[in-house]
Amino acid sequence: MRWGGMMSDFLSIYSVQHWLESCPQGYLVGTEYGHRPSEGEPELILSDPLLREQAIGTTVQLVVGERCALAASSGLINSAPDEASKRFLATQTLDEARHVEIFTQRLFDLGVKKSELESAIHQYANPNLVKFAEVLLEKVDRKDFVAGVVGQNVVLEGMAFSVFEMMYAGSQTLNPKFAHTLSGTIADERRHVGFGENRIGSLIQEYPEKKPAIERMQKEMSYYMLATFADSFRNNPAREELKKLRGSMSGYGAPKAEWHGADLNALEPEEMERLLADTVLKEFKIRLGRIGIEYQTPARP
Amino acid sequence: MERAIRDEAADVHALEPEAFLEEVHSFEFWFHSVQGYLAGQTFGHRPDVHGAPLAPSEREHLVTVLCNYCVGETAALEGASGLVAIAPNRLTKIFLATQVADEGRHLEVLLHRLGELGVAAPEAEIERRASRSLLHFKRRLLELVQSRDWEAAIFAQNVILEAMEFTVFQSHARTADLVTREVLQGIVKDERRHIGFGENELGRRLQASPHIRARIGEVKKELDHWVLESFEETLREIGVPNEERPELGRNYLEVVARLGFA
Repeated sequence: MRWGGMMSDFLSIYSVQHWLESCPQGYLVGTEYGHRPSEGEPELILSDPLLREQAIGTTVQLVVGERCALAASSGLINSAPDEASKRFLATQTLDEARHVEIFTQRLFDLGVKKSELESAIHQYANPNLVKFAEVLLEKVDRKDFVAGVVGQNVVLEGMAFSVFEMMYAGSQTLNPKFAHTLSGTIADERRHVGFGENRIGSLIQEYPEKKPAIERMQKEMSYYMLATFADSFRNNPAREELKKLRGSMSGYGAPKAEWHGADLNALEPEEMERLLADTVLKEFKIRLGRIGIEYQTPARP
Repeated sequence: MERAIRDEAADVHALEPEAFLEEVHSFEFWFHSVQGYLAGQTFGHRPDVHGAPLAPSEREHLVTVLCNYCVGETAALEGASGLVAIAPNRLTKIFLATQVADEGRHLEVLLHRLGELGVAAPEAEIERRASRSLLHFKRRLLELVQSRDWEAAIFAQNVILEAMEFTVFQSHARTADLVTREVLQGIVKDERRHIGFGENELGRRLQASPHIRARIGEVKKELDHWVLESFEETLREIGVPNEERPELGRNYLEVVARLGFA
């Protein structure tokens, strides 16, 4: 398969050189595990067993998602049809490894012992998120580049982008260290989503017969994503504790945690779940439309 | 505290074995390593460095050599990315991810150099000029990765391939034009890290499970022929005199011998 000069020019914005200048030599300069070296987890989280466990549980989902992204991006390199895509995926592989590292480090910062890391992940990993990952990795294992990139760079990264943005909005005041950690990953995800949208459109045109399977995959992954959100927001044992904390924050005149026009501190968990789900699904619809895939509405758990 | 360790003990070898691996296999370690020699460079060399014009025959030889370096780096990129999936733990996965990015960068700077030399369609040119022995090596390496044989694949990738590239690039850099020299010197610095990982990973495994030595020995025996043949082809193209070639071959074999494979 040959790729014309235009494709090479377009892909040059996803070069390793561009990545080096914007990421390691750009927004990561002066950071340590993604945040400022002097920053730590807030005492409030470390000293409250419920909040600490809540933070560990949430971070484990991030590690699970990023491990999946690392496996998918590295696994797609060998099936990429052109050198430029291989090189972009090489940078994405390292981005995802960095995300695995910084979120794993957060688990250590929260008191998880290194020797207990895998058992903590096993204990807290949401089974629906694991299924979400399995659907994607099955495409990667089959070396289906087009489906793999849609699953990875549009669905998984699109979800991660919105989840990270929401967490960032909610952490800015409560936990600046975590907010800074997230800000670098958000910048990375933006690049990954951009590549997915820009690169895949032409491949979908070239292989229209792949559309039905990709649409089924999107519907299935979206369902497991919604089920993960439902589990996280509806069955949260720290619900009352978090509510109290948010209430006290606003009582002290802390700024609103605004995201998509809502104050996260004032929302009930069910409202937050709906806001997140609606935002992600709306983004999916727009992005999939741009690459010529018809968005499939998933069942609601 | 970990940062303090990093700053104060530049010699990571002073760390306890567990802490050493945690340190040298991390993104953070990679980040601080490459920052030193990649800062201020564009596509592997200082932007204000320009090579002297090459005679047509010199250019022709250089294009052939660079095309074959691209074959090697593509093999390394595909091999390392495949190894992420079979890596036995978090730290080796993360190290290999840094290697994947390194190999992607190597491929990019070499392709860019081909572009600077006026090669309009590098992918087609690579296909046309690729050495048969190197392609055979690449195929075998990817088969080993595909078969999920961690020890054999890491030996082929991080010991044999990286040692071969290290030796050839280091030798070529001595006589290359200024731009190519800087590009190759940057790559060599990465290769050193990759070989270190391969030796360390395999060395520990050989110590713990001596029975795998026989299997690795078989892989070496099979691949040596292709490695040495492509070695000879490349050294001829870059104009290494006949009398110096055996010595470079020995340098390569010495790296492999450090793991006890004579």
